[in-house]
Amino acid sequence: MSDAIKKRGSDEIYNKLKEIVGEEYCSNKESDLFHYSIDLTWYTPSMPDYVVAPLDVSEIQKIVRLANLTHTPIIPYCTGTNIGGLCIPEEGGIILDFRRMNRIIRIDTETEYTIIEPGVTHAQLSAALKEVGFESSWGVHPAPTSHLAMTVNHGIGHLSGRFGVNSQFISGMEVVLPTGEVAKIGSCAYSDSWHSLYPLPMLSGLFIGWLGTTGIVTKLGIWIHKIRPFNDVYSIAAEDMESISSYMKRWSDYQLCDDNTAVSWWLAQIPIPYPYIEKPKDDPEWFAYTVVTGWSEDEISFKRKIWEKSRDTAIKEDNAKLVDFEYPSEAKRGRTELPSRIVGSTKNYAKSCGGGIAWPGTFTPLKNWPMLYKEWKKIYIKHNLSPAVRVTNYWGPHYGMFRAMTPFDKRDPNSVNKAKAAMSEAIKVGQKYGMIPYKPPVDYWNILNEHADQGWIMLLTRVKDMLDPNHIMNPGKLGVR
Amino acid sequence: MFSLSEKGVKKFPNVAKMFDWLSMCTYCSNCGQFYEYGKERNFAAVNCPSGDYFKFSVYNGSRSRNTLLKGLLSGRISLDDEAAKILFSCTLCGACQQMCETDVKDWILYIEEAARADVQRNSVGVPEGIQTWSKHIPLEHNPYIEKHSERLNWIPKSIRSSLPKKAEYVYFVGCTASYRQKNIALATIELLRKLNVDFTIVQDEWCCGSPLLRTGQFDRAKETALHNINVIGKHGDKIITTCAGCYRSLEKDYKKESPEGYKDLFETSFDMPVIHTIEVLDKAVKKGEVTFREDPRWAHKRVTYHDSCHIGRHCGIYEQPRDVLRAMPIIFVEMERNRQWSFCCGAGGGIRGGMPEYSLETAMKRNQEAIGIKAEIMTSVCPFCYRNFSDAAKKWDMPLGVWDIIEIANETMIVDKR
Repeated sequence: MSDAIKKRGSDEIYNKLKEIVGEEYCSNKESDLFHYSIDLTWYTPSMPDYVVAPLDVSEIQKIVRLANLTHTPIIPYCTGTNIGGLCIPEEGGIILDFRRMNRIIRIDTETEYTIIEPGVTHAQLSAALKEVGFESSWGVHPAPTSHLAMTVNHGIGHLSGRFGVNSQFISGMEVVLPTGEVAKIGSCAYSDSWHSLYPLPMLSGLFIGWLGTTGIVTKLGIWIHKIRPFNDVYSIAAEDMESISSYMKRWSDYQLCDDNTAVSWWLAQIPIPYPYIEKPKDDPEWFAYTVVTGWSEDEISFKRKIWEKSRDTAIKEDNAKLVDFEYPSEAKRGRTELPSRIVGSTKNYAKSCGGGIAWPGTFTPLKNWPMLYKEWKKIYIKHNLSPAVRVTNYWGPHYGMFRAMTPFDKRDPNSVNKAKAAMSEAIKVGQKYGMIPYKPPVDYWNILNEHADQGWIMLLTRVKDMLDPNHIMNPGKLGVR
Repeated sequence: MFSLSEKGVKKFPNVAKMFDWLSMCTYCSNCGQFYEYGKERNFAAVNCPSGDYFKFSVYNGSRSRNTLLKGLLSGRISLDDEAAKILFSCTLCGACQQMCETDVKDWILYIEEAARADVQRNSVGVPEGIQTWSKHIPLEHNPYIEKHSERLNWIPKSIRSSLPKKAEYVYFVGCTASYRQKNIALATIELLRKLNVDFTIVQDEWCCGSPLLRTGQFDRAKETALHNINVIGKHGDKIITTCAGCYRSLEKDYKKESPEGYKDLFETSFDMPVIHTIEVLDKAVKKGEVTFREDPRWAHKRVTYHDSCHIGRHCGIYEQPRDVLRAMPIIFVEMERNRQWSFCCGAGGGIRGGMPEYSLETAMKRNQEAIGIKAEIMTSVCPFCYRNFSDAAKKWDMPLGVWDIIEIANETMIVDKR
C-alpha cells in the first residue's frame, strides 16, 4: 500500500526549478520541506514550498530570476542554526540549501585571507586552516554550521575580543543580487585579489547584517590569522555584576586579550538549570575567563602581569569583590583549541529540558551591564527561568555581548510562551540601556522598530526596496518589509 | 510546538513512547559532520552516508529524521512514501550518534528503529527490496532468498562429519557467510581448527535477526532470536562469530538492557558470552602462539582496515583487528576516517537490499578513500561490508583487493604448538 506523496507549491514553478538544478536537487514534497520549517527557537513551524540545492552561481541566478517572475520568496539556508528563526520562511517560498556549495576556493597564506562558499562549515575551514597554521574567529556554535553565514550576519568568535565581530574580517564578496545580477565587492571587483574592502566605498554594508534580505552572498573573502603558539586562560569570580564589569572594563582597556567573558552562575551550570533554582549562597554569582595568546612565553607572562594589575586596580579603586577560581582544564582546552566540541555544544544549554533554546541580547554598552542584569534577573525569575547571562567585550571595551541563554520545553506550549514572554520583556528593557539585538527574530525587530529613528527605518526600507523591488529575499525578516 | 497529537500517536505509537527523548534533539546540527579538535590539527569529514548521497539537509544526520518524526508525531505533516523513504534511508551506522552531545544521543538508533516499526505497521513506503527479503526470512530463515536446507552446504563433508554435537563454542556463521561469502566461513573454521578451538556449528541456525531489527520488524526478530537462543544453548556454552552484524545482534540486541519504550519492541533474556573470531586470533597473536608468514598476495602491500559500524561504533572493538594486521608482514595504513570516525560501507540498516544503488555508491566512496591513501587492500571483519566493498570494486573496476582479516590470517598463520 502506498500513500500519495504530499506536495506544496505550484507544479509550474517546481518544474522550472527542476529544469535549473535537476530533479534530484529539487523538491516540493512536504516531508522534505518540514525540516526547513523549524529551528532551535520558539518559532511556530512555517513551511517553504520548495527546496533546491544549487551547485553554482549561474543556477542561483536562474532561480532568482524565476522567483522575480513569479514573486516567490527565496530563503538562503546553510544549516538553520542561527537561533533567530532567520531561515524559517515567513511567506513560504524557495529554500536555497547550500549543502552542495561547500568549496574552500582559496587560502592565501601570504596576504592572509581565504575565499569560501556558503556551505563551508567551521569544522571544514578550521581543519584546512590549521593545516597551514592559520585560524579564523570560531564562535560558540556547533562546528558543522556555516562560516560564511555566521560572518555576514555579524557572528562573534574567539578572536572578537582582539578584533571585533567576524564581519570586520570580511575582505571581499561575490553577491547574487535579488534581481539576478552578480556583483563583486572590494578589491576582487578590480582584480583576482580578494585581500581588502578598503579604500573603496563600503558596498559590503548592503549585505552585512541584513539577514539574507538583500542578496545572496555566494563567495566571501575573509582575513585569516596566524595561530599564536602560546596561550593561557586566566579566571576570576565575583559576587556581583558591578564587580565583574569593573574588572572587565579595566582589563579590556589594554586590548591584550582574544576573549574577555563572564557568565552568571546559572550559565556556568551544565546544563542551565531549568526551571529556575536558587544559587547556593556561598557561590559567586559571576565567573570570568579571559584568553590570551602570544608569540612567546615572555609575551604571555607580560600579559599576565598586566591582567593582574587590572584585576588589582578593580579591587582597589572600584571596590570590586573578586575571588579566585580555577578554570576547569577541559573547559580551558575548549577555549584554546577552537572550534571546540564542548563550547559549541547545545548540551550546555538544552540538555534534558525539551529541546528549545533562544536568547535575548546582544550588543550592550558595558557601563549599563549592572543595571540591565538586575532588571533581567527579576524578569527571568518571575517567569521561573534561570538568568543564564553571558557578557563579553569586543574589540576592547567598545561594544559587547549581553545575552541570556534561555532553554524551554518545546513539548509544552506554556513553557514556550513563558520563555518567549521573558525574552520579549528582556528586549524591551534592553532598549532602555542601549541594547541592540543580535540576529534578531522578527518579534524582536517589531519591539525595536517601534522606537527607532524614523529616518533609519526610512533608509532601511528604501535600500531594501531598491535592491529587492519584488520583495523576494527572505521577506519579513527585518520587520520593515 | 511539538506536543503529541492524537493522529501522531495513532500512526507512531512506538516512537511516541520515546517522545521525551526525541524531544531532547535541539536541531543543533552537531550530528551532521565528523569533527574533532586538537592542538596540532582539527579533523572534519563527511559522516552521514544518506546526507552524502541524497542532497538535502533532510537526509543528513539524526537531526533531520528527529525533526521529521516531531512533525509526524505532532500531526503537522502526514506519513507518506517520501517520509518513509527518509526514515528508511539511514544505514543506522551511528556516525551521527558519535557526534551528538544532547540527551537524545543514546536513543538515536532506538528511535530510528522504532520509527521503522511504525512505518511497517502503517504499510507505507517500505522499500520493495526490504519487503521481499522480509517475507522470506520467516520461511527460510535467511534474507538471501535461499533454502534453509542448503544453509550448511558450504561446509566440506569431512569437516561436517567431524563436528561435535556439543562444544565449548558454537560458531554462529550468519547468513552472508553461509550463502554468499562462503570464503569467510571456510576460512573461519580452518582458522579455529588451527587454533585448536573446541567448536561446533548448529544444524538449525537461523538468521540472527539483524536485518529484521534494523528495519523495525521486531516480532519476526524475536521469533528468530528465541529460536537461536534455544538451539545454541543445546550445543555450546559460548558463541564465536566472524560476522560484525551477528556479533552486534548476539552481544547487544539479544542481551540488551533495553530502555523503556524500546523494551516493548524487543527483549530477550540471553547471557551467553559472545566473541568475534578476531578477538580469539588477537589473543593468540599476543600470547605469541601465532605468527604470520609472507605471502605474495599480501606481503609488503599497503593494507587498510575498515571499522564495520556494528563491531566498531556499536560495540567498541577497534584495536584488536589493527593489532592483528600490525603483526602481519604488510604495510598497515589508516584511512583518515577510522575507529569511531569510520564511514559506513553502506550495506547496513536494510540499505543493501532496500536501496542498492545508494548502498553500492557509499561502498565505492569508502573504497575511494582507501585508494586515496594508496591502499592496495581493504580489510574488514564483516562479511556484509566485505560484500559491499567487493561488489563496488567490481562495478567501478577499482584497483583495490578486498579481504576479510580472518582469510588472510588463515592463509598465512604459523601456529606455535609448544
